[in-house]
Amino acid sequence: MTTPNYDAIVIGAGHNGLTAAATLARKGKSVCVIEKNATAGGMARNTTFANGIQAPEIAHLLYNLHPKVKKELGLGSVRAPLEVRDLPAVSLSEDGNHAVIRNGKAELADGRPHPETAPFGELMRRLTLFAGLLGQLSTKSPPSLEDGLASLDKLTELAGLAKLGLDLKRMGKKDMREFLRVLLSNAYDLILDDLEDGPLAGALAADAVRGAFAGPRSPGTVFSLMYRLGQGGGAQLPLGGMGAVAAAFETAARAAGAEIRTGTGVARVLTENDRAAGVVLEDGTEISARAVLSNTGPMPAMILAGAEHYDVEAVRRMRNQRCKGTAAKVNLVLNSAPKFKGLSPELTAGRLLIASSATYVERAFNPAKYGEMPENPVIEAVIPSLSEPGLAKDAQHVLSAVVSSVPYALEGGWDEAARESLAAVTIATLEKYAPGIGALVSDCQVLSPACIEARTGAPGGHWHHAEMGIDQILTVRPANGMAHYRFGPEGYYLCGAGAHPGGDVTGLAGRNSALQLLKDGVI
Amino acid sequence: MGQHDRFDAIVAGAGHNGLTAACYLAKAGLKVLVVEKNDWIGGAAVSRSLHEGWTYSNCSYVCSLLRREIVRDLELPKYGLQVIPYEGGASFDSDGDYFAYMSDHDALRREISRHSARDADAYDRFSQTVIRQCRFIRPFLLRNAPDPTSLKPRDIGELLFLIKQAHGLGKKELGETLRFWSMSIGDFLDEHFENDLIKAHIAGAGIIGTGLGVYSPGTAYVLLHHYMGDVDGAIGAWGFARGGMGAISNALGACFEEAGGTIVTGSGVDRFLVSNGRVTGVALANGDEYHAPIVASNMDVKRTFLQHTGEQYLPGDFVKAVKRFKIRGSSGKLNIALDALPEFPAAPKGAPFLRGDLHCAESLNELERAYDDWKEGRWSQNPYFDMLIPSQIDPTMAPPGKHMMTVFVQYAPYDLEVGGVRAGTNWNGQTRGAFANCVFDKLEQACPDIRSKTVHAEVRTPWDIEQEVGLTEGNIFQGELTFDQLLFNRPVPGYAQYDTPINGMYIVGSSAHPGGGVMAAPGANAAREILRNIGRGGNMTGYAA
Repeated sequence: MTTPNYDAIVIGAGHNGLTAAATLARKGKSVCVIEKNATAGGMARNTTFANGIQAPEIAHLLYNLHPKVKKELGLGSVRAPLEVRDLPAVSLSEDGNHAVIRNGKAELADGRPHPETAPFGELMRRLTLFAGLLGQLSTKSPPSLEDGLASLDKLTELAGLAKLGLDLKRMGKKDMREFLRVLLSNAYDLILDDLEDGPLAGALAADAVRGAFAGPRSPGTVFSLMYRLGQGGGAQLPLGGMGAVAAAFETAARAAGAEIRTGTGVARVLTENDRAAGVVLEDGTEISARAVLSNTGPMPAMILAGAEHYDVEAVRRMRNQRCKGTAAKVNLVLNSAPKFKGLSPELTAGRLLIASSATYVERAFNPAKYGEMPENPVIEAVIPSLSEPGLAKDAQHVLSAVVSSVPYALEGGWDEAARESLAAVTIATLEKYAPGIGALVSDCQVLSPACIEARTGAPGGHWHHAEMGIDQILTVRPANGMAHYRFGPEGYYLCGAGAHPGGDVTGLAGRNSALQLLKDGVI
Repeated sequence: MGQHDRFDAIVAGAGHNGLTAACYLAKAGLKVLVVEKNDWIGGAAVSRSLHEGWTYSNCSYVCSLLRREIVRDLELPKYGLQVIPYEGGASFDSDGDYFAYMSDHDALRREISRHSARDADAYDRFSQTVIRQCRFIRPFLLRNAPDPTSLKPRDIGELLFLIKQAHGLGKKELGETLRFWSMSIGDFLDEHFENDLIKAHIAGAGIIGTGLGVYSPGTAYVLLHHYMGDVDGAIGAWGFARGGMGAISNALGACFEEAGGTIVTGSGVDRFLVSNGRVTGVALANGDEYHAPIVASNMDVKRTFLQHTGEQYLPGDFVKAVKRFKIRGSSGKLNIALDALPEFPAAPKGAPFLRGDLHCAESLNELERAYDDWKEGRWSQNPYFDMLIPSQIDPTMAPPGKHMMTVFVQYAPYDLEVGGVRAGTNWNGQTRGAFANCVFDKLEQACPDIRSKTVHAEVRTPWDIEQEVGLTEGNIFQGELTFDQLLFNRPVPGYAQYDTPINGMYIVGSSAHPGGGVMAAPGANAAREILRNIGRGGNMTGYAA
């Protein structure tokens, strides 16, 4: 074999794969990242239209980038420059009384105070407090359920849990009781216990279920809302588009010494004596390594290694994993900046939400359950070129829209006609708030969950690789008995969003898996 | 004040939980009064003759959850309670076929194989899981829910018991248990089975009485609430109380009176009397007052505190918590007097499974769509129902040769939407009739001659159940069985041990742990707490001691 040997190979250059590679490389390990696409970045890449205008291909905002990852990788430093801008959230209302959320506070689009400023503030206080508490669990492997106190690891883990318990106690009886009550509850009731059902409630409900196969009435959605608020809940627009985020992760990984090979994917993982030994690329090249980390979804990771390396239970669990994506991406090229009723230019550049009430969000999800196209979808839209005029080209702007409640398994399949019909639904929905926007559209790109799966390998096109339901988090993510990143053959690790703590551009799954691998002494 | 109106304890409401608590208190030597607003006792466990010659179990209709420890303690068979087990059940599809459920293992496997050979293999694994989960949870039913924020030795003890039980499952099982508790019944069934009819048949038990759909997380657990009952020790077996569900209440009533208790019917509690933070008695709607240092309410928490207790006696946070406690009416009922047994053309003549629970749901999506209707304030246009003809087994329910049918319908909203307004008062003669018609249309899928055999039909909406029984929104569980309202969160965090902010006042109904169903566990557990608090715990006999 003439190919070089590495300590570790990472399959997939999504942000978690890059983070894992950077983390290992920083510890002096030789690492190679294999990416099937021509560029690194996974869901955090830019796309370029025919006229040369750039747009975020899939993800378009940063919410949850973890400070630890940011610091360790030097994201935003000279080493890996990344500049972001905080965006206000504007929850649109057909009557023009748009609700604006800025730094966790509610106001109205015309500058008047929002009548629900106080209850909203109190609700956010509690949720961010609880989110911070749960966040303690996100930077390590999840607590295991294994018996015995024999090892040092076990004691460290218990100490971590004890700290969590202590912090829980320290909140005071009232907040602690509230935490234990709402933890597994549904977002719809939680929100409407304190707020009138309108755009403000709708904004929270939409944030609770974006990307999830759930409506806000589903129990467990308070957890996903808290997860979303892990870093305070504010949305940040990366300057230079989402591609700049991918570039920053890539630069950080390279700076740490990792090698990145793009353009050819991994065909399978090599194993010797039930140990990961390297990978075979799609072009037949074999690359050997002492450890392999997979940034793919859990099921694809299992298939790459070969199901024969897993016990029957594990295979069954993977097959039953819930990963039906519900978020589609629609990019609209507009001939000029659109005008939204009652929005200032500053707010038009914000994170625009179409979620006029929590009930609207629940209703929007109904058709997705039966594989039907949404009629009145929830939309999160942003026009990056309004914040960064350099991105506009010939006065043209791109409106980047995440359209929720779009089924992966559409009845009849995702063909060209279905994608066109999704674009039409999206434009018709926007038209209610920005009359005339449809006439501005000169080009458009539609990625259904099925397209997202094809481009990124995320199972079901699911943004989090696997549903963040309470039956699939912490100790049972991705599945019971597989929660510690070790994934089948010895030396094979799962480092993507399908592992603890889950999705969003946090970098934590990648970081944690690399640390677990080092701790296990594999390399 | 005469001697007659002073008691050791008063129970407001003669539902099965109120009566159970009253029995335990009276048997421990207390002088106990039960007051009931209706002219009859039993709450939602009643047998009523609403059409001459027929007896209806017109609210709850089958017996499975009633804890046998309690039946034994109170010697209910001595007071006339006789539970007749029934076997099996079936779901009919629109193509003229059916799936029959039977308790004989081999017969069931053959029947499942008829629909899917793969599912027949899957069934064993499915039932093992369900039985294991039932066994895990059963010990908790008759214990207090620990308060995790408390450092009292008893709470810590209960918490340790919970941990010990959980630990005893072993690592793998514990993971599976956590997952099971947080899953939807739909996902759970999709994991095991491929056949739609089989899945739909089992799924009903996960949603009955709840404001949740088959794909709502947490409904797999609700399935347990229906499976963990035991008639003669067989998990999941069901039975009819001979003479209707009222037989349970009547046995409890007789036991209570023999123990020296007093029951006053015909006037309900107008308000609970409170003085200096202590309950002192009750004032009835007819003006009568009764006094006692202990008052236990069998009404749900909303009714107890928001309608019959002055808010000035309660902490603001408590009132707020009670207001946000979710009690959602989601089911209606048809009770039908039949001239003769209807024909079931799909089933073999005289098939034993016709004596069980019958359904017409064909797929999980159909059930989920039924839920979508309910969310919008409509009754399900294609409803799920649980239909039984108890007179086939218990001849006391109808005149000779005639039959009685009970049809439990999911979903029917309490706050029915008419012309953009959602309100319980929208249930009137017209909407009730339309609802019944919708159910009859679906019933015809199983028995096309049902309309011609019907002599009389009583239509019960959530609104009717609230008006008659007093259950808020007509919710059969006195509160949704969701995670935020179970164990130490039921009914209100900090008050999960039957106590209330008012000294001497207790909650004994299904609003309290472990929740609804004709189980009698909340009543028995509450009685144990009361006796312990007054230092009389030593006088108790049976499990509660």
